[in-house]
Amino acid sequence: MRNALFGPAMVVIMTGGTAMAQPANPTYSLNGTPGLLEMPTAQSAAQGTFALTVSYVEGFGRTTLNFQVTDRLSLSLRYGFIDLYDDPTSQTLESEFARGFDLRYRLNDETAFLPSVAIGLQDFLTPGRLGAEYVVASKTVGDNLTVTAGLGWGGLATRNGFTNPFSGLQTRPAFDVAEPEGQLTSDQWFHGDAALFGGLEYQINDKWGVKAEYSSSAYPETPFKPAIKTDSPYNLGLTYRPAEGVQLGLGYLYGNSVAVSGSLSLNANNRPGMSGRESAPAPVNVRPANDRSWDQDAAPPHALRSALATLLEREGITVTQLAISGDTARLRYINTRYRSQAQAMGRAARMMTQVMPAAIEVFTLEPEAAGIPLSATTIRRSDLEQFENRPGAAEVVYQRADFGDADLAPGLTDLPAGTPAFAWGLGPYFTLIPAASGGSVTVDAGLSLRGVYRLQPNLVLSGAIGQSLINAAKKDPVPDSTPDIQNVRTDAVYYGDDGVPVLQNLALAYYARPGRDLYGRVSGGYLEPMFGGISAELLWKPVQSRLGLGIEVNYAAQRDTDMLFGFDEYDYDTVTGHVSAYYDFGNGYHTQLDVGRYLAGDWGATLSLDREFDNGVRVGGYVTQTDMAYTDFGDGSYNKGVRVTIPQDFLTGKATQSAFATTLQTQIGDGGARLAVDGRLYDLVRDAHTADLSDTWGRFWR
Amino acid sequence: MGTVLAMKINSWICAAAAMALVACGPLNEDTAASRIMGQATARIMGTPPPASTGLGITQEQVLANPGQFMRVNIRNFDQWDTMAQTGQNGRRVTWVNGNNISLTLQDGIMVATRGLPRDLMGAETAETRQAIRAGGGIAQRTHEYITDVDAISSELLQCRIASQGAEAIEMLHETHNSVRFEEKCAGEKLEFTNVYWVNARGTIIRSLQAVSPDAGYLQIDVF
Repeated sequence: MRNALFGPAMVVIMTGGTAMAQPANPTYSLNGTPGLLEMPTAQSAAQGTFALTVSYVEGFGRTTLNFQVTDRLSLSLRYGFIDLYDDPTSQTLESEFARGFDLRYRLNDETAFLPSVAIGLQDFLTPGRLGAEYVVASKTVGDNLTVTAGLGWGGLATRNGFTNPFSGLQTRPAFDVAEPEGQLTSDQWFHGDAALFGGLEYQINDKWGVKAEYSSSAYPETPFKPAIKTDSPYNLGLTYRPAEGVQLGLGYLYGNSVAVSGSLSLNANNRPGMSGRESAPAPVNVRPANDRSWDQDAAPPHALRSALATLLEREGITVTQLAISGDTARLRYINTRYRSQAQAMGRAARMMTQVMPAAIEVFTLEPEAAGIPLSATTIRRSDLEQFENRPGAAEVVYQRADFGDADLAPGLTDLPAGTPAFAWGLGPYFTLIPAASGGSVTVDAGLSLRGVYRLQPNLVLSGAIGQSLINAAKKDPVPDSTPDIQNVRTDAVYYGDDGVPVLQNLALAYYARPGRDLYGRVSGGYLEPMFGGISAELLWKPVQSRLGLGIEVNYAAQRDTDMLFGFDEYDYDTVTGHVSAYYDFGNGYHTQLDVGRYLAGDWGATLSLDREFDNGVRVGGYVTQTDMAYTDFGDGSYNKGVRVTIPQDFLTGKATQSAFATTLQTQIGDGGARLAVDGRLYDLVRDAHTADLSDTWGRFWR
Repeated sequence: MGTVLAMKINSWICAAAAMALVACGPLNEDTAASRIMGQATARIMGTPPPASTGLGITQEQVLANPGQFMRVNIRNFDQWDTMAQTGQNGRRVTWVNGNNISLTLQDGIMVATRGLPRDLMGAETAETRQAIRAGGGIAQRTHEYITDVDAISSELLQCRIASQGAEAIEMLHETHNSVRFEEKCAGEKLEFTNVYWVNARGTIIRSLQAVSPDAGYLQIDVF
């Protein structure tokens, strides 16, 4: 049956884009940034690339998350365990925990004659044990060879240093142990001696490459700096990339040590799940041109609702209400399957063409969550009929749709039939607790049994019981270095360390729409592992606005460390709360500012900035500054962290709302600590509002 | 038996069909709803013999019901599937298989797919059809795809259609006389060659048509 004549036509070729002459993806150094072995290059990964690199050489293990924010700007967060020289340097401190941030900016694109040049800051917050700055140039020669030369300062100028070419920056201040951690080391940047470094990288084929570098880091014996002995300035390496996004490396460093590394990279603009693999939607059912009738005896409204509900349930869409008046059908529904609300909306609208009488011309779609309607999108049925599968269909429907607040008049609806009021789940949990004292990280992992009971659509009781499997050993208390400050977070390691099941949370949450553009929430109970109390929140967020404003007030009491029902151990309660502003810049950047009072009674603000890709991949960071003294806070000075979210459908292409999310905090201190309440309003409502709908509107017809 | 088969297929259409059958039983009270749902399900599924689904169609059934079914080979999966009519919008007919992959054709030329790794979201292909009718010529096409960041990307393609002469083809053990046409298309980011076999009445009875680089080609046999 197979026809041999099909042979020549078998390949659809994507020209342009990928085929255009673009530099191959750079390899990653032991430091987890595009580079040689320990020396940086001026290369950049493709915009939107995350890379996680783990590397080890004797005395120094490190894990780096590198993110290429723009074509030219990249940021890195590094955790490491490193041997340091003590004071005196005759002794060493073994496997000290170190954190650091890097930043690199590439100044130009490489041309036929000019190299690309980049400027970088390495480990630029105190204590900055690897602190260094550099200017570096890289040039490709032919297809496979890259030549790099650079000028380094600080840690990159400890071999054959010479007088700083910038005459005003001759002396680099010595590292001050007393300085609180997490401050910008700007007084050191590009100060002191400079030194030259350089190297070559040759890509033998798609998979194998070799590197050689002359390192300007000699690791001299300096108190609290890396205790690494070097016998040679030359480092050699081999890289193997067996698959896209995977790099394995082997190196010979300092003339005396073997180094190994592994990198996994992922480009947020290059979705492994492609356009998604979910099954086809129902097609549009086109009405005959001369029929705009509705036989109410044959198709009474309750029957339409029942039929539509049954058909949409197959699409993961739960119908809660259907109201028909005049030529308009208004559907309220819960999207339980699709990450994109626009996609759920498109599927609901097409199914309505299958069920609704021909007289109905206008569809109003109201997504609902936590029992409250989030928005209303009004679409003309004739547009669906006219533009289905036509080029420009998504754009036309978007332009002609009306976006606004949901109609609040009818009040809340009944529990949808067929949806069980009780749901439960058993799954693993995993928590990293970066302890404030001792600079160590504690891992807590185990099983969590969660239950949700929906008393009303908008009144939900939820709870979780956890059983720790790792870290189920009693912790010995360490002396409290800041007795004046309540240990609102620094005692986290003592919570649930008895090895018996604990109550992670058990709370009742009530959601409401107090008025147009207004959303409300009241939660009470054991809100989080360390605190219980009452939390009330009000959010103003017009559907078409990029700005949202919120206020939250909580009364919280600290729970006992056995994580049962008591509040006696600490006898600490407080009023905490914030006013918050949320703004979507519309170009993939999203920001949030919270100003208010934190759990330990300190006043301050948290600023968050996230880069959000329209496919749901998010990477962001936040900083919190409060009026608590740096010394009281502990050695992190202020709260800061990095968070990454990758939707599951990004990886698999299967329609789901699940996502992998993690927050890497550099430090948990008692300052700038917020109550961890579930179900905050902004995250609940935003994906049904115009800004988020427009981000994924391409999925309306999918 | 049809119900059992349908339950194996992880798709809402078949499950909805199964439920429609259940909903017809005497225990069902909301008869108007089950009738509306049954009508919608029948529309979405087309009107093949009711106990069968797109997957359970035999070759004899395909041949005995001309115009009701297509046989499609998704070349990337190297798998033959029968598709049944599920919707019609003007001259555009949508077909679906048992795995809930759908395909929309206008006069035999593909204008949309759903359920493939990189769907053709929509297309304008009328000029290609005219060129085939004219025995060859040039045509402009527009294709739309979903990007990896959920936007729509539009590709404008310039195509050249040429007849390659008569060719006898075999479909389900029946020989058909046809004229073979080749269409070479190129755009800024995309290049492909489609092949059409057109019978004496001018119907495209077999074709090999490109969806996208990720989804590859579909071979479509029309009966």
